Parts: sequence; structure tokens; C-alpha cells
Amino acid sequence: MAPQVFTLAQTPITSHVFSADRSQLAVSLNSNDAQIFSSNGQEWVPTETLAEHDKLITSIDWAPNSNRIVTCSQDRNAYVWQETPDPDTGKLVWKPTLVLLRINRAATHVKWSPLEDKFAVASGARAIAICSFDPENNWWVSKLLKKPIRSTVLSIDWHPNNVLLAAGSADMKARVFSAYIKEVDERPAATVWGSKLPFNTVCGEYTSPAGGWVHAVGFSPSGDVLAFASHDSSISIVYPGGPVVHNIRMQSLPFVTLTWTSEDVIVAAGHDCRPIVFSGSEAGWQEAGTLDDSTAPKSAETRPGVGGVGRLKTGAFATFRDADSRGQSSISGGGSQLTNTKLLTIHQNTITNIRPYEVRGNEVTKVSTSGVDGMLVIWDVNAVTGLSGRLGGAQLR
Amino acid sequence: MSNVLRPYLAAVRSTLTAALTLENFSSQVVERHNKPEVETGTSKEVLLNPLTISRNENERVLIESSVNSIRLSIKIKQADEIERILCHKFTRFMMQRAESFIVLRRKPVQGYDISFLITNTHTETMLKHKIVDFIIQFMEEVDKEISEMKLSLNARARIVAESYLTAFNA
Amino acid sequence: MASAFRKIDIDAYDEDALQESELYEADARDPAQVLDEARQRQAAVRSSLAKSDVAGALSVILDNAPYGPNVDEAKVLTLQTLLTILNTTKATEITGVIKSLSQDSQDTLMKYLYKGMAMPGWGDISGSVLLGWHEKLTEVAGVGCIVRTMTDRRTV
Repeated sequence: MAPQVFTLAQTPITSHVFSADRSQLAVSLNSNDAQIFSSNGQEWVPTETLAEHDKLITSIDWAPNSNRIVTCSQDRNAYVWQETPDPDTGKLVWKPTLVLLRINRAATHVKWSPLEDKFAVASGARAIAICSFDPENNWWVSKLLKKPIRSTVLSIDWHPNNVLLAAGSADMKARVFSAYIKEVDERPAATVWGSKLPFNTVCGEYTSPAGGWVHAVGFSPSGDVLAFASHDSSISIVYPGGPVVHNIRMQSLPFVTLTWTSEDVIVAAGHDCRPIVFSGSEAGWQEAGTLDDSTAPKSAETRPGVGGVGRLKTGAFATFRDADSRGQSSISGGGSQLTNTKLLTIHQNTITNIRPYEVRGNEVTKVSTSGVDGMLVIWDVNAVTGLSGRLGGAQLR
Repeated sequence: MSNVLRPYLAAVRSTLTAALTLENFSSQVVERHNKPEVETGTSKEVLLNPLTISRNENERVLIESSVNSIRLSIKIKQADEIERILCHKFTRFMMQRAESFIVLRRKPVQGYDISFLITNTHTETMLKHKIVDFIIQFMEEVDKEISEMKLSLNARARIVAESYLTAFNA
Repeated sequence: MASAFRKIDIDAYDEDALQESELYEADARDPAQVLDEARQRQAAVRSSLAKSDVAGALSVILDNAPYGPNVDEAKVLTLQTLLTILNTTKATEITGVIKSLSQDSQDTLMKYLYKGMAMPGWGDISGSVLLGWHEKLTEVAGVGCIVRTMTDRRTV
């Protein structure tokens, strides 16, 4: 099935998340407000604005079961939004509750825990705030994970057991922490990451050989495997037992976001503007192909993204090169402007966010991506299978 | 001539493409600030190794990158004194109007003639590959511009000299 | 005179401050040993080049290249040796040679190309040769290779 493409805005989408039934969508359009969109079957129409932050909203998460939205922003705050009836009209509106984060720098990423009784906020204050609800005082309180984080935390992900938390930070490390809170959590069963887990235990610390800020982290559905994408254009998959770390270096630009679709498949996307699928197991991982193939039927020839100077080589670069090698330096006259204002990919700029969209059984069958180009795209994860052989072949040297 | 220039520009293009992988990054040193990290230089872990691309001592490009901004500095070819003066005047003219060029820096980095500062805001509002195209086109044009200016300067000098000397011819 | 204290970088005294050395794993080898290895490699490269085995010579010099502080002499020696290889390879052979290298070697080669370009006019550096290699290497290893040169703190 062809990917569904929605253009929500002309501005970047910093974060997007769907409601549990996928009928509503919360996004932040590179501004201080979050927007709720509703689907009318054909397209997404804005219905409500969540305005409380006074700086750029960096991340949004929507708890599917308890139907609460949490937003965090560069103004150092996070709000939990709950749908409550308006006292006058009786209409359901989103009401904010401030969270006491106790961080003094920008919040960068927020995520609900699987049981939705906690959420974690990554921040530039070299700390991660683990927030839980205090029923006595009727507010959200936080506890900080601090050591040994040395720089801004860029991304976080919860382990399915509701206790472990993975964090990727700008000090080039991906770490696994225990975010066990006595008042909330039951004692977790032992996992491959460790058995005794008081708060702030570091269960693992990993880095990519060529360094680079860790833009994205993700636990596999079972929680036994960790994947992280770093700025050296590579993705690493960690099996903590050995520990075995598989590092796949890409020829293209770095990834900034990733999601597992099943225990042996990861979809990652980033500055290269197209989602790439990886598959493998503990024995080894490899690139399986891309989801974004529909625009270029002549895959091997016209997709220079797999090799050349980025994909740009086809359009303006070719025009430039032809003109240049023929000794005409007057391409500014028209050629380059006309031929290549569009990239070959669906997304026209960096993809910043990728999330599971549709789950069947234990497998994610569709993922949604949003990016700096203001587009929201829903991809069929299985659309890659036919392609894998072809691209896999092209990859071999 | 342009065939010799091609590998140089291709190297700048690929390096710039690799460097333009920016994201919004709030300062981790100053509260509620968001500044180009390549300019403040206060947290070294968010800076990347600076890369230089050079044809020879007189023509080189320095690309310094960070998590949310890059600085690209160009040393323009200056073969003689006239080219040096023309280049200085030309870059000065542009840098005084830096705000109209959006990505231009008001002052060049030491050792270079002209610098650009590209931040994540620029890559969000403009297409990334078009920014790359713009820089490459600029590099291409600037050499041509200066040699044309030099030619017209010489032509003008010749005309002035001729019309001055005709006074003695009579 | 009494204002010298204003120039003190107080952030350097913050015990939480991130040091340059913490950003990468230090080379376990002793500087003298590294220099020794660099010399041995230079000899190995010469013998490979005598047999006109460019790919072999390149993989010898790029494997385990010196990085980090205190090994400047070994770095210079390695760069010199590498330059002799680059300068003697025929333009038509370059792509084939690069394709035969491992990913690690390709990344290291890219680092050396940028190092060479950062010091034009030094030794027998020729801008056009380096640019030629750069173009071919980018074609084979992609822009990802350049990204890694920027992120990798293990500078050569």
C-alpha cells in the first residue's frame, strides 16, 4: 500500500502523537502551542490548541489508556493535560496541570511509562526527571536521575517492565537506568539488564565506535535488546548478555529517530529524509531496505542516496556538473532552480519523529513519521519486504 | 578552468551536506537561551571536528559544525594586489548588508575572507539542499565576479590613460 | 593589573565539567610503541609499493592508525607515508583500491584526507590529488563517512 501523506503545516513538526483510537492527533508545529487535530476521514483539521508553555514545545506524548497528554518544552516545564468537562458548557476540554520538574534547563523529550503511572522527562540539565502522581497532594512530583549523565539528554525510552529507562545523551553515551520508585512500582522481576534495581542504578553504558550524540534509543518489544542511533550515521543494537553490540554504519546522513516494529525489525529515520528498515537477530543485523521507494522505480540507478554525494547528485548537482564540465558557468541563469526543488523522497526535510501507528498482534504493521517539512506520513512497514532483496544486493560489494 | 574547480566544489558540497544535520538545541549552560553552539563554544561535546577543504594555500574552505549551527568560512583566491583590494571591498560590501543575505556572518573568521553562519532555524525554514546549492553557487560566482571586476578595472584604467595621453598627442 | 582574575575560566574548575579526554577511549598503547609501529609500517608500505600493491599498502597504514595526544611524531610519520601512497596511485585505480578497503580503513582514510587538506603546502601535499581521492571515497563510502570524520574524537 502506498504511504498516506498529510501536509499539516508549512512549519516543522517537532513532535507528533496519535490518540489511542487514531482519530485524533497532537502535534507541536515548532511553536509554544500544541495542536490537537481530528480526522474527518480525508484530512486532519485542527480542533483545539493547548497553550500554556512560553517556549518551544520539544516533545508530546499521549497515554493511550488513561487518555492524558503530556507536553514538555524549552521553558523547563512539563504539563499533563486531561480532558475534563467545562463547568459552564459541559463540553470536554483539555485542562493542564503543571508538573514540578525541578530542572533548570530545557526539557527535551517526554515519554509515558507503559503502565502510564509515571513519565520521564529528559532535559538539558544533565538529568532525567521521573515523575509520578502524588495523590495526597494531588500533583505530579519528580525524582531526578543525575549520575553519571554529563550532557543534555536527547532521548529516552521505557522498558516494558515499567522500571528500566534507556537514555541517549549528547555526551555520546546510551545508558540504561533503573527508574524504580518505591511508592509506585512493584518490585520488578529480574531481567537481562540486572536483578537488584534501586533508583538510579546504571545497568549499562554503551557508545558507538566513532562517537556522536545519541539521538534516539529504543527497547525491543520484549525489552531484552536496546537499539540506539547516533550522529556518526550509525545504528547500534545491544544484547546485554555478552554484551554483544552490532554497529551498522550507514553511507547516508545520521538518523534521529527509531522504533522497533517487532523483535527483529527496526525502522529508523532522520536527516536522510526516508525511513530505513533494519532486520536481524543476536547473530547479526543488516539494512533491509527503505520504505520510501514509490517515487523512484529505477531504484539502483537513480537512488544516489545509497552511495554518492547524498541524493542531491541527481538534480541540481548533475545540472551543475554537466554545465560545469561543458565549461558553462552560467547555470545560475535558470537550470538549477527549475530542475531540483523537490527531493526524490516523500519527506522533503529531516524526519524528526517516528512512531508505531497500527499494531496487529505482536507486530507493528504501520508507522507514522513527521518531519521538519511539516508532513505527516503513514507507512506500511511490510512494504519493504519485496524490496529487501534488491537493495540488499545493491549493498553488497 | 572549471574542470579544475569541480572536485573542489564537489568536496565542499559533500562536506556541507554532511555538516547540515542540525537540530533545535537549547543551551545547557544558560537557562532559557538558545544560541548557535558553534559561536558560543561553551559546551565542547556538542561541537564537531572542524574540517578544511583546500585546493592550495590561497583557496580553502573551513567548515566548523555543531549540534545546532555550522560556520562556513571561505578564503577567496587572490592572485595579486588588485584582486586583494577588490576582494576586500566586495566582501565588505556584502557583510555590511549581512541581514539581507540571512546566512551571512557580519565578520569573517580569522584567516578567511567571508563567513556564513547557518543555524537550525535556517535549515527549518529553507530547504537544506537549496542552502547547499546557494553556497556552491556563491563560491562559483565570487571568483568570476572578482576576475570580471579586475578586467573592467584594467579596461577603465586603459581608457583613462589613453584619454589622458591624447592631450599630449596633439 | 588586578583584573587578571576576570580572565580565569571558572567553568574549567567545575568538577562536573566534561573533559576532552572523556569523550573517547584513550589509546592504550605507549607513545614510544606507537612511534615504533609507525616506523615498521612505513617499511611495510615501502615493500608493498615496490610490489605495486596499493590496496595492501593502504590497509597496512590505515589499520590501527595513531590517535589522541602525545603521538604527534607518529601521526606525522603516518601522514607522510600515506601521502606517498596517495601521490603514486594512478587516478584510474583509486576507486578499485577504495572498494577493497574495510569500513574502518575508509573512515580513517577520510580523516587523513581532511588532515592533509587542513595543511596545504606542507610536505608534498597536493590539493588536487587529495580532492581526487576525496571525491572517489565519497562516491564509495557516502556522506556518512564524512559525518564520522566530524564526530570521531579520535583525531589522527
